[in-house]
Amino acid sequence: MVGRRWWVPWLWLAPALILVGVFLLYPSIDTFRRSLLDARSQDFVGLDNYRFIIENPQPLVSDTHVALWNNFLWLFVFTALTVPFGLVLAVLTGRVRYEALAKSAIFIPMAISFVAAAVIWRFMYEFNADIGTANAVTTQLGGEPTAWLQDKHSPLSFVTDAGPDNLPGPLQLNNFSLIIVGTWMWTGFAMVVLSAGLKGISSEILEAARVDGGNEWQIFWRIIIPILSPTIVVVATTLVIQALKKFDLVWVMTGGRFDTDVVATLFFKEAFVIRDFGVGAALAVVLLMWVVPVMVISIRRFQFQEETR
Amino acid sequence: MRRGWSLGIFTVVLASGLVLAACGGDDDDSASATPTSVSDGGEPVDVGDVDVLGIWGADELEKFEAMVKPWDDLYTGNVAFTGTRDITAILTTRVEGGNPPDIAIPAEIGLFRQFASEGKLTPLSACPGLESQVRNEYPDSFIDLATVDGVLYGFFMKADTKGTIWYNPKVFAENNVEPLTADSSFDDLIALSQTLLDAGITPWSVGVESGAASGWPGSDWIQQILLNEAGGEVYDGIIDGSIPFTDEKMKDAWEKFGQIIHAEGFVLGGPTGANATGFQESAFPPFESPPQAAMLYLGGFASGFIADQFPNAVAGEDYDFFTFPGGGITGAANIAYAFNSDPGTCSLMLHLAKGESQKIWVELGGFTSVNKEVSLDSYPDAVTRNQADQLVAASDFRFDLDDAIGGAVQTAVFTAVTEYISDASSLDAILAGIEAARQ
Repeated sequence: MVGRRWWVPWLWLAPALILVGVFLLYPSIDTFRRSLLDARSQDFVGLDNYRFIIENPQPLVSDTHVALWNNFLWLFVFTALTVPFGLVLAVLTGRVRYEALAKSAIFIPMAISFVAAAVIWRFMYEFNADIGTANAVTTQLGGEPTAWLQDKHSPLSFVTDAGPDNLPGPLQLNNFSLIIVGTWMWTGFAMVVLSAGLKGISSEILEAARVDGGNEWQIFWRIIIPILSPTIVVVATTLVIQALKKFDLVWVMTGGRFDTDVVATLFFKEAFVIRDFGVGAALAVVLLMWVVPVMVISIRRFQFQEETR
Repeated sequence: MRRGWSLGIFTVVLASGLVLAACGGDDDDSASATPTSVSDGGEPVDVGDVDVLGIWGADELEKFEAMVKPWDDLYTGNVAFTGTRDITAILTTRVEGGNPPDIAIPAEIGLFRQFASEGKLTPLSACPGLESQVRNEYPDSFIDLATVDGVLYGFFMKADTKGTIWYNPKVFAENNVEPLTADSSFDDLIALSQTLLDAGITPWSVGVESGAASGWPGSDWIQQILLNEAGGEVYDGIIDGSIPFTDEKMKDAWEKFGQIIHAEGFVLGGPTGANATGFQESAFPPFESPPQAAMLYLGGFASGFIADQFPNAVAGEDYDFFTFPGGGITGAANIAYAFNSDPGTCSLMLHLAKGESQKIWVELGGFTSVNKEVSLDSYPDAVTRNQADQLVAASDFRFDLDDAIGGAVQTAVFTAVTEYISDASSLDAILAGIEAARQ
């Protein structure tokens, strides 16, 4: 649409651009600015807030190292659990007659709000075996009730009393409890997107593979996954961004306590409970820096796909 | 081409229509003419709506509304009450964003002091008659707590004693055990716990889980022990910073708390159970049938949870409290303060501060008033009356320690409590960490 009315696309884009500018761009720039100022956003302090994040001088008030490590854990484990689950479910549901029903059932968790999911799972994880499903199952099987959301021992501590070792850092039972909830929610999304990609694979290739003597397992690994890899990357990048952004799940289930803090809950606490806007803004900037490369990869992929169309 | 044009015109018209609709909607609540701040009991006076931010919900909210009803009858405006336990975050956001509520009624005074010293609050003197009413009707200790830099900014409503150890009288009777008194010592409490354990019942039900604020019930234990063992001066010293958290006496208080929490079999579910059980759920085990535990240490508000969960329970027979051994009483209260001196705000503040209004909630139960005009007879049963008595007659009363300091130190204390409960060996590091949070 080049030519006399070059400005028309801009006219259509204008409302969206204005909203993005006011609610996204301006706050981002202001956050950068605040990360260089002090707690009350008055005096310039340079990189002191970033130094606070690196040095972690007050682990009892806001443990920045724990938050950063937990975010790493979320990043890897959440994506590593959700993508394979989604893929397997996409393949399996594509082969049953009641495909629509199965897919809806798995997708429903995405339709409820994160807070609702968090509340549901809080009840599931209740320590009191009369209320908490997880502990009811554990006690029925002969074990002791476990504090799923508060236990900082290794994940095996729900089998033995206090775990064989206390695994270091973020590898705690309660982090995994939270990640499982995240997976429960997002598997539906991964499944739906991958299923769409799956349907795009021409049946002729699959037929040919079967005729050539390939079994289902080989077809899955050597044909389906390579063809689906762009879709898998899209799903993975979305999930990575979700993992980095995770706030509501953690906030509602544990309030970031018991060393389950992530960067999002931590900067919320810093800014609005402890009222240190400098550190809060610095944490938000760190999170932004973390997400930007993922977004760049994602956009580059999208452009590449557009060009090769 | 023509279709493109007409579509464009249609959109412009639609957009401008939306804009006009947004602008034209608020003719109805224009500012009132000449507002008088006090009604003379005749025609309802128009003072506008009042926006109140507090922590109450459900039951407590209903009782607050009952308390506000007489004001409602005198004035045409509405009281828009928002209740949230996350009040610190919401209040901070609103104040920073330039949209504070008219009145805020939180439970911690650290934020109140910060706002007051930053000049964001309206002193009570800005409302006609308010300051003199408060000075006349409230005890000195509570007036001092609400004074910042010599100016009175707020008043206390809904106080709560934290010197109450709840117990099941039937369990005590069956095991021939007497409740303790204010003259008992902490060692007597340990001995009592051991006696109950030997008789076959778990002595304590403890639950410190409470979302982002997990750990606060433990801090109540520790500050009560500190007040009784170390005395009021040390307590005050911790608050104003002259005595550090690493002091021997503070460490001793933590270790005494540890004697209860870490002792084998003393706590239902052990330390893990304490960290994982919500504070409200922890109020139920002593009063279930059969009782799962004998005692519960939680503030006076626990009677509300117990009465709601067990509607057939009779106050005094099925649940009662004895005073935390030692005689010193800690407590907390909601402090009401205003951000402006609009007519509506002032009239509501006056109403809430009055003894008559507070009496309404007192009679409904679950509210202890520190207003001297409210007589002890207004309390609905012996248990609530004794709580009020304990609060008012306390020889050594102190405001909740972490509520008084607030801010980062409060967060550190709560985290420290849950850390200490899960790992008793880290006490020195924990106390150093709390002290480091002081700025």
